Amino acid sequence: MSDVPLSPPGPSGINPGGAEIVARGFQRYDGPRSGVTGAISSVIWQSMRSTLGIGRPARHKVFPVIAVVIAYVPAIAFVGLAVLVGDLLDPTEVADYPGYYAFITAAIVLFAGLVAPEVLVGDRRNGMLALYLSTPLRRGTYLVAKTAAVGAALMLVTLGPPLLMLVGYTFESVGPSGFGAWIAVVGRIILSAFAVSAALTSISMAAASITDRRAFASIGVVLIALASPAVAGALVDGAGLSQNWRLVDVFSMPFELVYRVYGEPGNFPELSTFNVVVVNLAWTLGGLAVIVWRYSRLVISR
Amino acid sequence: MEFPSTRALAGLDLAVPPGVTGLVGANGAGKTTLISLMLGLLRPTGGAISVLGLDPTKNGPELRARIGYGPERNVLPEDLRAYDFVRHLAEVKGLPRDEARTRASDSLYLVGLGEERFRALGTMSTGQRQRVKLAQAIAADPALVVLDEPTDGLDPVQRDEMLNTIVDINRTFGIDVLLSSHVLEEVERICDHVVALEAGRLVAQGTMTELAGATGGVTVELVDISDVPGSIDQVEERLVATGASVRRIGPILELAGPSDDELFDAVTVAVADVGGRIRKLGARRRTLDDVFAADVVSVEYAGRAPSTNDERDR
Repeated sequence: MSDVPLSPPGPSGINPGGAEIVARGFQRYDGPRSGVTGAISSVIWQSMRSTLGIGRPARHKVFPVIAVVIAYVPAIAFVGLAVLVGDLLDPTEVADYPGYYAFITAAIVLFAGLVAPEVLVGDRRNGMLALYLSTPLRRGTYLVAKTAAVGAALMLVTLGPPLLMLVGYTFESVGPSGFGAWIAVVGRIILSAFAVSAALTSISMAAASITDRRAFASIGVVLIALASPAVAGALVDGAGLSQNWRLVDVFSMPFELVYRVYGEPGNFPELSTFNVVVVNLAWTLGGLAVIVWRYSRLVISR
Repeated sequence: MEFPSTRALAGLDLAVPPGVTGLVGANGAGKTTLISLMLGLLRPTGGAISVLGLDPTKNGPELRARIGYGPERNVLPEDLRAYDFVRHLAEVKGLPRDEARTRASDSLYLVGLGEERFRALGTMSTGQRQRVKLAQAIAADPALVVLDEPTDGLDPVQRDEMLNTIVDINRTFGIDVLLSSHVLEEVERICDHVVALEAGRLVAQGTMTELAGATGGVTVELVDISDVPGSIDQVEERLVATGASVRRIGPILELAGPSDDELFDAVTVAVADVGGRIRKLGARRRTLDDVFAADVVSVEYAGRAPSTNDERDR
C-alpha cells in the first residue's frame, strides 16, 4: 500500500484525489508535435473518412456504400457457395482470385470515379488546399498524402474482397493447400490489389487535377474506363494494327497485370508480361507526372 | 519579389516586433505576397526574410507548424462540422489526436462558438465562419497568428467582438498577431505596430503612437452661421493675433502653440468674442488615413514642379 495520504473528501463527499478538470479552457501547449509525418497521416485519415462519407450527411454515404456492396457481394456469395455446396463444387472453379476482378469492375470504376475527385477537387474549391499549405505540408507532401488516401480507399474494394474469399475458402478447406501456398496467394492478392489501385489512383487523380468540377472529373474517369478498351479494340481488331496496340487500353492493363501476377495468360495472351508490366508502370507514372505538373503550376488563392 | 508582369515589395526593409501588428494597404498593395513570403509559400527572388528566427525558404514546414493562418477567403468545407474542421487542422499542425480534440473545443469556446461547435460549416453565418477560421488558426497554439481580413463581412457588433477576441489572444495568451486589413480604423484601434504598404512598397512602419495619435495642438471645427457673416474668418484672425500658428481647411482650424491648454482657452475666447459657434473641438490627432494621404500626395507630385492648380488641390 502506498503511504501517500488520500485527499480528504470534498463537500459533496466525492474524493477529489482522482478528479480531472475537463473544461479547462484555452491554454498554451508545449507538448510534442508530430511534424510532417503527423500532418500526412492526418490528411490521409481525414480524406478517407470524407471519401466514405464518415462524419458527413447521409447523401455522401450513398455511393461509397453502393460501391462497397457491389465489391463484396460476389465474394460473400462465393464463400456462401463454398459453405453450402463446397463438397460438390469447387468454388475456385467458378471464380478464381484474378478472375474475381471481372465481377467487381463496376465497383472499382465507380469508386475510382468518385474518390479522387472528392479528395482533390474539393480541396481546391473549398479553400482547404490553401489552409493545408499554411501547415507543415508542402505541395509535394500534400500530394503524397492525397495519393495515399485515394490508393488506400481503392484498396478497400480491390484488396478486401479477394482476402475475404481467401479466408472463407480457407475455413471451408477449399483454399490453398499448405502454409507456403497460402502465403503465396496472400502475397499475390496484395500485389494485385496494389497494382490495380496504383494505376487507377494515378489515372483518376490525373483527371481530377485537370478540372475544378467534381462531376467532370468523375465523368472523365468513367469515359477513360469505357473508351480506352474501345479504342484499343478498334486499333487492333478494326484497323488490323499490331497486338501491342492493346497496350493503349489504360483501363484493362491493370487487370491484365493481375493475371500475370498469378502466372496466367489473361485476356490478352499475345502480349508479353514484360510489356504489360512496363505499360502499367508507364500509365501510373504518367498519371502522377500530370498531377505533379498541374499542382506545380496551380495558383493558390487565399 | 519578381512576378512575370510585376515587381512587388522591392527594397522592403522591415522588422516586426512582438504584439499585435497591423499590415495595412489597399488591394494589390502586397499584403498577401508578404504573408506568402512569411509562410514560405513564395520564394523571394532577392533579399532575406526571417520569421520567428527561422528562414521560411529553408525551414518552411517547421515554421508553418508554429504559425496559425486565417485566410481571407470565406469558403470552407460545407459538410464538415466546425469541431471536426478545427480538430483536423490542429492535427495537421502536429498536435497529438487527443490534444487536438480538446484544443478544438477550447478554441471554439474561446471565439464564442462553444455551443455551435457541432454545426456544419455550411449552415453557419459569415460571422460564425470568420470565428471558426480564427479558432483553427489558434487551435495548435501557434507563436504567431496571421489573420487576413478577419472582419470581412461582419456587422459592427460582430466586428467589435472579433477585434476584442484578437486582442485577448495577444494580451491573455501571449500569441503575437499579424492582422492584415484594409480597414485602417480597426488597425488603429487594436494594433501596437503598423506596417503600411502601397503598390508593393513600404509606406510607413512603426508603433501606433509614432504613426498615429495625438500630435500636439488643437483642432476646432466652426459653424458658418448666417447671422454672424464671416465669423470663421474673424475667429481665425483673433487666433492668429494671439500668436498661434493656424492652418485653415474650410471650417476647420488646426492650431499649434506653446501649450494645448492655452490654445483651448484662446479658441473659446475668440469664438465667444465673435459670437460664433463650435461644432467640434479637440486635441489634434493624426490617423493612419493621414499617413496614407500624405504618402499618396508625395508620390503623386514627385518629380514634377507643382502648378498653381496642384497647389490649390493640395
